[in-house]
Amino acid sequence: MKPVTKEQLAGLASLVGATREQEINCSECAVFAAEFAERQLAGLPLDETLAKVEDHLAVCPECREEMLLLRRVLESGN
Amino acid sequence: MAVWALAASIRRIVTEERDWPQALRAADNAPVVEELRVVLLNGLRAALSGRGDVGEAHLEDFTQDALVRIFAKLDEFQGRSKFTTWAHSIAINVALTELRRKRWRDVSLDQFLEDGRHFAEAVDESAPADGEEEREHLVRKLKRAIAEKLSVKQRAIIAAALEGQPFDQTVALLGTNRNAAYKLLHDARRTLKDALTAEGISEETIRTSFAS
Ligand SMILES: [Zn+2]
Repeated sequence: MKPVTKEQLAGLASLVGATREQEINCSECAVFAAEFAERQLAGLPLDETLAKVEDHLAVCPECREEMLLLRRVLESGN
Repeated sequence: MAVWALAASIRRIVTEERDWPQALRAADNAPVVEELRVVLLNGLRAALSGRGDVGEAHLEDFTQDALVRIFAKLDEFQGRSKFTTWAHSIAINVALTELRRKRWRDVSLDQFLEDGRHFAEAVDESAPADGEEEREHLVRKLKRAIAEKLSVKQRAIIAAALEGQPFDQTVALLGTNRNAAYKLLHDARRTLKDALTAEGISEETIRTSFAS
């Protein structure tokens, strides 16, 4: 395996630091993603479940990418 | 909220006056399916604009696949958001799953596990420190925890994540499902975090030592 780069180590440290004892997985995140995006965009507070979505997004680059695109869609007025 | 964002919200609320799930379940649903198709197509166009690897034909394909998925999941819509937002989230997942599949590397299970076996050795504890003592200490402990506390599979799944390997490929290599693979990865991250905090390294330090 190739040597781990500084950027990868930084990524690992950030992943480990953001790890929670209890986390929701990607399928659970998907259930609440639409509600999360709408509330975040409207500047509304997040309840306990939606806070778990936020925690998941901190450790899951794929769900984070999808959330970014969903926000882009909503912001474009679609 | 910016005026344009407010306008977009109002527009969404106005278009949400209809009961989409009911209209989609109706016998004569062709016009509403076509309407949803256009909504999703426009959404994907906005979401994926600027990506050189996505053309109009891809957008049309993703939209068709998304419609199939949305129909299959229609009973799961709980009304917690606008229907169209929920549908967009599914369309984006469908599109990105397809696009990520194109990034699958040519790697065997043996190679994947081999990377896991050598993961700790691939961490050079002094190189990324830039003379920062706290960071060097963190990397040293991290390397040790990877070597001593994680299984080969756990090391491999973390190494693959750092390489940016699409998660579905990791899942396929392990011959498991996404939820089980997520649990494996979560357990690995938790083990590393516990090992570091047991060494007196705070969560704050773990998160920020590379920030500067
Ligand atoms: Zn995820």
